[in-house]
Amino acid sequence: MEDFFNKIKESFTNTTLEFETINIKVDSIDWIDTHKKLKDGFNLKFFSWLSAVDWDNDVSVGEAPKESVSPNFEIITCLSDLANTNLITVSTKIDKSDPKIESLVEIYGGANWHEREAYEMFGINFENHPNLEKLYLPDGYEGNPMLKSFELISREVKPWPGEVDVEGMPEESGSDKSPDG
Amino acid sequence: MTDVLIKVGFLALAALNGAIIFTIMDVKGASWMQRRPGPLHVGLRGFIFPVAEILKFVQKEDIIPTEVDRPVFKWAPAYVMVSCVALFAVVPMSPTLVVADIELGVFFALAISSLGTIGVLTAGWSSANKYSLMGGLRAAGQLIAYELPLILAVVGVVIQAETMSLVGIVEKQIEWGVPFVFGGQLIGFLIFMVAATAEMMRVPFDMPIGESELTMGFMTEYSGIRFLIFYISEYMNMFILCAIASTLFLGGYHVPLLPTEWVNFYGPVVLLTKTAILGFILVAIRWSQPRFREDQLQNLAWKILIPASLVNILVTAIMKVGF
Amino acid sequence: MVNTLDPQNMNNFSEASVSIEIETEDMTLNIGPQHPSTHGVLRLVAKVDGEKVHDVKPVLGYMHRGYEKLAEVRSYPQITTLVNRIDWVAGFSNEIPFIAGAERLMEIEVPERAKHIRLILNEMARISSHFVFNGAYALEVGALTPIFYAMEDRERVLDLIESVTGGRFHPNFNRIGGVKPAAGAGPTSKKNIQDLPAGFYRDTKVAMEKVIKAADQFQNLIGGNEVFKKRTKNVGILTPEIAEAYGVSGPILRASGVKSDLRTHTDYLPYDQFDFEIPVGENGDCYDRWDVRVKEMVESAKIVLQAIDSMPSGPLQAKVPKVIKVPKGRTYVRAENPKGEMGYYIISDGGLGPYRLKVRTASFSNISILPIMLEGALLPDLIAIMGSLDFVLGDVDR
Repeated sequence: MEDFFNKIKESFTNTTLEFETINIKVDSIDWIDTHKKLKDGFNLKFFSWLSAVDWDNDVSVGEAPKESVSPNFEIITCLSDLANTNLITVSTKIDKSDPKIESLVEIYGGANWHEREAYEMFGINFENHPNLEKLYLPDGYEGNPMLKSFELISREVKPWPGEVDVEGMPEESGSDKSPDG
Repeated sequence: MTDVLIKVGFLALAALNGAIIFTIMDVKGASWMQRRPGPLHVGLRGFIFPVAEILKFVQKEDIIPTEVDRPVFKWAPAYVMVSCVALFAVVPMSPTLVVADIELGVFFALAISSLGTIGVLTAGWSSANKYSLMGGLRAAGQLIAYELPLILAVVGVVIQAETMSLVGIVEKQIEWGVPFVFGGQLIGFLIFMVAATAEMMRVPFDMPIGESELTMGFMTEYSGIRFLIFYISEYMNMFILCAIASTLFLGGYHVPLLPTEWVNFYGPVVLLTKTAILGFILVAIRWSQPRFREDQLQNLAWKILIPASLVNILVTAIMKVGF
Repeated sequence: MVNTLDPQNMNNFSEASVSIEIETEDMTLNIGPQHPSTHGVLRLVAKVDGEKVHDVKPVLGYMHRGYEKLAEVRSYPQITTLVNRIDWVAGFSNEIPFIAGAERLMEIEVPERAKHIRLILNEMARISSHFVFNGAYALEVGALTPIFYAMEDRERVLDLIESVTGGRFHPNFNRIGGVKPAAGAGPTSKKNIQDLPAGFYRDTKVAMEKVIKAADQFQNLIGGNEVFKKRTKNVGILTPEIAEAYGVSGPILRASGVKSDLRTHTDYLPYDQFDFEIPVGENGDCYDRWDVRVKEMVESAKIVLQAIDSMPSGPLQAKVPKVIKVPKGRTYVRAENPKGEMGYYIISDGGLGPYRLKVRTASFSNISILPIMLEGALLPDLIAIMGSLDFVLGDVDR
């Protein structure tokens, strides 16, 4: 893995290796070129997955980031190589106000469904995608569920961990009343 | 008039009994091969299982979808069943124990057996369901394709027996001393059995039903008692075609060494035994084979079975004339 | 359109080709979401011309449960319960990469014994998943009997999983830093940790030998069947190039002739200590996909037999803090699951739960090739090809 990391690092400057995962950070303009280079030059032909992360300080689900982040979408792809199983993740950041990026379908056919999923879950537009329509969600569904601002309604209705719904022991409930009564 | 009624009643009863015997055989054969405890051990060693099955269907609601062609949809099962029952009329259980000893018995049987196709096709068409339609069309294509080898296989027997009466064919086999299957019609018998399996729409030729593809084929929209009628007529068809096969090729009601004057007593038993043996082979095939594909089925019929049966006829004719 | 024959040209009759074309309309056939062969609730909108399939559009989402969103409001130990339900045929295998990812971020070294127990149960999950495939696939090509044998044999393996974990399908047995003390091995106290149940080694040996025997039976009775061969050989051929570009993994990829098995490359479980072969197909057709899985069952059984022979002693759990907080960082851990590559991309922000959890499931990528493979296939082939991809809807929709 070290060797491969060094080899990658020669071509891509912004490369990190942490927790056994190599990550290349690129600008969104270089998105297509990077993947082309990785596919042809490094033999990373296996398209594992594509997904996005919604970075935001104002969250309605889960915990907000500890350190303040600038709001943006991070798009991540994971590529690997079947022969000696090198694995790489490529990430880029795009603006939230106009979330769009070139589609990878031309290079990796498998990106099709993954991009459709990211489109409906985050609202990211993949340009030149052959059929960018909803994958999982029904047609009339509004909103992008994976956004951090999208409320998880079941949690709103019934907060978690919630009240303990075990009835108190008789003695304990008695002790709440005035000791004289 | 009463004479006719008795005959029809007898036919229906005999065919129904045959169907029930075959149902029991199929279910028990299946559970024996699949190690299923239900039909093997539960309730009188599993023998009341078919009764429970029938009662289940009878008490279920008979759902008729709104979009179907109602009269056609309602009568299609009856049509299929009647054509099965009518087929049994010409099968002799002894020289005298036969509902109708027609001169053209074989011809009648083959003509009637193709009538069921219309019932299946109308069931598929009237259901207003795409799966049903595909099932119905597959059934039609299949029945037409296998009708031919079925008839051609019988032609060999007819040449050999010099008669088309089923009683006459059995008498000829008694005269010969060996059933036709050992007397030169082995290939004819095999072709007949393959084609008959396809006519019955049983595995490996069950594409019209093909539950993994077409859910239930032409029967998809049927439920309750109408489904039961289809279900029973499938076994009836199986019983009767096996009976015809044993009559044509296995010597029918006759068995060597038994006194011929008592044939009225043992005849039906002998015929039923032969039929059951053939039926068991079909059961064994059903529970151990996958299903063919539609085009493979058609290839088998047109490219192998029909040429083979033509050759069979040729050889039989040459043997008949030459020796 | 009927070409009328010109009587003057009758001489050319031998050369003339009669072209009678009936104008037909394609019929749109909805296969699923309720259909016997769609493994749950997959829906295929197929354009069919008679028996021929022209265009297939898979419609997903009938089983979408939003696990990635749900994971964001849960703590790490709670997520293992959740991910159990992704591929319910092999529930145990879903936990492994997630737990391994959390452990990697926390830099915990898992005791060898716990790793071995995980490995054994992981392989058992693979065997049970392949049993289901074997039965179901035979059913899909029309053979009704094998599923009864497959289910009966699988029950033996499930019993073993149950005897250790307490659950047949959803064991929820892994803990960060090791495994849960096993069920059914006597009383537990803080000092006296429960281990594998009594008689487990013996029962496993018996069961695994039965698995090998069953696989042999499948090879003879299903694989040797002429009709089965006719239905599956040269049907639905998948080339390695398409498989790679679409991220198709697992037995399907290996059936196409690519010798790729994450068990040999990655270190999420100590597979390098055992001796096993990776079955590879030649043509990449339905028969090969079936064949590879049957052979894999045998290899898995062999791994389990080796693992119980070389089971190290030691603790079941590493030392972990009481409140599990995963340090800031991100990692991707993948594992070879029965269906293919399964992985979790965990982005941790140092909190109780992940900031984002991306679940990469095998079936999702595996069935994304359906429109390509089904182009021009016959309807019975559609079922045969779909079945040979061996997907589970929970694994597709997450």
